[in-house]
Amino acid sequence: MGELLKVEAICKSFPGVKALEDVSMSIDFGEVRGLVGENGAGKSTLIKIITGAYEKDSGRIFFMGREIKKIDPLSARKMGIFAVYQDIMIAPDLSVAENFFLGEYASRFGIVNWNRMRSETMRILNELGFSVDINKSIRELSLAEKEMVTIAKILSFNPRLVVFDEPTAVLTDYEKSILFKMIKDLKKMGVGIIYISHNLEEIFEICDSVTILRDGKVVGTYNLKDRKLTIDELISYMVGRKIEEMYVKTKSDLGPEVLRVEKLCGVKFKDVSFSLRAGEILGMYGLVGAGRTEIARAIFGLDPIFSGEIYVHGKKVRIRSPEDAIRIGIGYLPEDRRTQGLFLVQDVEFNINSVNYQDFLTKLVFIDYKKSRELATEMVKKFSIKTPSVLTPVAKLSGGNQQKILIARWMSRNVDILILDEPTNGIDVGVKAEIYKLMNEITKLGKGVIFISSYLPELMGICDRIVVVSNGAISGEVSREEFSEEKILALALKNYNKVRREEK
Amino acid sequence: MKYLQKEKKKVFFFPFRERNLVLIFVALLIFFTITTKGTFLSFGNITNLLRQTSINGVVALAMLFVIITGGIDLSVGSTVGLSGMIFAILTSERLNYQLQVIPAVSVAIAISTLLGITNGFVIYDLKIPPFIATLGVMTFTRGLIMYISSGRMITGIPRKFVNIASETFLDIPHLAWLWLVIAILSSLFLKYTKFGRNLYAIGSNREAARLSGINLRFHYFLAYGLSGFLCGVAGLMLAARLSAGVPTAGQGYELDAIASVVIGGASLNGGSGTAFGAVIGALLIQTLRNGGNLMGIDPFVMQMMIGLIILVAVFFDQYFKARER
Repeated sequence: MGELLKVEAICKSFPGVKALEDVSMSIDFGEVRGLVGENGAGKSTLIKIITGAYEKDSGRIFFMGREIKKIDPLSARKMGIFAVYQDIMIAPDLSVAENFFLGEYASRFGIVNWNRMRSETMRILNELGFSVDINKSIRELSLAEKEMVTIAKILSFNPRLVVFDEPTAVLTDYEKSILFKMIKDLKKMGVGIIYISHNLEEIFEICDSVTILRDGKVVGTYNLKDRKLTIDELISYMVGRKIEEMYVKTKSDLGPEVLRVEKLCGVKFKDVSFSLRAGEILGMYGLVGAGRTEIARAIFGLDPIFSGEIYVHGKKVRIRSPEDAIRIGIGYLPEDRRTQGLFLVQDVEFNINSVNYQDFLTKLVFIDYKKSRELATEMVKKFSIKTPSVLTPVAKLSGGNQQKILIARWMSRNVDILILDEPTNGIDVGVKAEIYKLMNEITKLGKGVIFISSYLPELMGICDRIVVVSNGAISGEVSREEFSEEKILALALKNYNKVRREEK
Repeated sequence: MKYLQKEKKKVFFFPFRERNLVLIFVALLIFFTITTKGTFLSFGNITNLLRQTSINGVVALAMLFVIITGGIDLSVGSTVGLSGMIFAILTSERLNYQLQVIPAVSVAIAISTLLGITNGFVIYDLKIPPFIATLGVMTFTRGLIMYISSGRMITGIPRKFVNIASETFLDIPHLAWLWLVIAILSSLFLKYTKFGRNLYAIGSNREAARLSGINLRFHYFLAYGLSGFLCGVAGLMLAARLSAGVPTAGQGYELDAIASVVIGGASLNGGSGTAFGAVIGALLIQTLRNGGNLMGIDPFVMQMMIGLIILVAVFFDQYFKARER
């Protein structure tokens, strides 16, 4: 079969980052192409260029043999290019049926024909073997249902190229099987598919071929049907180095216990107990939604604690707000740095010192700007934050540097306990390694680090110990000598199986 | 290290945007002086202009605190009216209370501040969006003014209080001095105190501010309380100038205040804006009104022009901001 889509020498940069460099690939009619790469490798950027959400800096795009000079989201849709995004953009307050016909309501003389819209929607969903109440608003649906509705909607447009970006993350096995059947049907119809996933087994299961991106460049495209490529090879191409080089663990001496949590109950978790020693990196693993972030938020005073105790340096403490937590010496780096951590329009100095203005950089109520500037400059140097000046707005910096600023914020005030929630999300591989190094250095200063992550290799690479959270409870604790992926995964799934069995 | 030194200057002198505003303001002064053959620059007109602008200028500063947090305060005009009315009722020689000036001023300002804090409470604790919350308080307050005054003008306020509005010091009206002092204090407060910085933090990212250990409730109460406080002061200034409590006093001030702050470079998304900008913004709007008047431009046409100027000013501001990125 012929070529459906060809991109040639695509380049795209954002302030401070080269997101794509000279990227070329082509996809045939009816081909399912996997697209893999680490976070920040450029997958999303490439997809957004193909679907018209971003403009390319240079390069050429050919679709069905014709060069496409300019794509915007609307013209992409007209050509039959669709994407199922992780964040599903449909009108959340309207019903499923309305969303199906959004922008092109079935109507006569401007009056909406509700019956036709409902029956048509039902027909499409039934054909796919997927049932959902079409009068419910999208907001009332589960994440998986939302995604299936979006996919179903796309199929009704007779697409030519469909991009699936992490489609199975929220799906159950049954829904996944429907999705894979859909993909196979599309393939038979000659539709091209780009399939992005972190789950490499899935890539091998559904894709004909795979393109690997790393640091904005194409590493290569491999045929999967001849079964020559192994998963391990694929991973090493993605990472570009051996895993051992990525995670350097410097052994530091463990000091006394700095934090102990006993029988803590809160929003979405109960009876959580664990402890953290000085100089230790404690990993916290669990599936998305298991309650890891909630535990961290409760310890930092962001969410209420229903019962249980927290001890810092052996002394019982009461934490009812972030102010309390900060006073006691706890720092928290939130999961989403843009919406929860950074003051994007403010400068680097402000972002580093926002916590310190509350106390030690303030005399009476006046801020000591001289000290503030000195401290910020020192932190910028110490953490090698790449910025033109401490007075540059952080919105202009790259994700990695922004993350370092947030770590610098806590280290500037010497907190004893630092909780990092997914600190390497969306960060270039190189900067990731730097952040691991930083974590090692922090523990060398005798501080305790809690490292929350969904990515096991990095946890196993750098932690002294991992506690596993499963369905709102601690399901086990594994020390470094006993680390194994199977064991930790089994612990992470433990409490879910139990619940399911009980339901039966 | 060198580059750090170089940028340092920028913070303490006018940033680019504010320098432009000053230039536009000066150009406007020259333009009106020429077109009115000097009448504009006459002593009488300038003091008159300053008197009127000082009141709007104080209200603009009140609005600034709230806009920096990413909110908006539509109740400023009503609060101005209420403060003046309370003062008039308490001191009028035709009514029963006949309080001294100082206690009456204290009561008027205290109630205005309380009204502001109520805004903060409704917004933070009852979680009602600022626009709606202050719209409610604005309507309530205007009703309250009408109720306590039976919709009538209250005259007979002490002579020596009224004189404050007409007297000058070094040829500059007292009202303008008061405005200047408030502006300088506001500027120092915003730039050099932790409370000021925290308002910017909340306006740039509320969640990140909370995670930085900033007490949100306190700062919401602070911003809206300060707004109420300054409106109380402005209300007294207006009462002195009008030598009466007028039920409709302050009506529409919220819109001039928003326009001044926005022209002064603040973003309605929060996290930016300076006292200096708010001062220049207020001066620009009132100068246009005054100058247009002297040139004999139809006041209705002038109103249309001011509307267009607000749009143009904000458009260019955003255009330059976008180019900086």
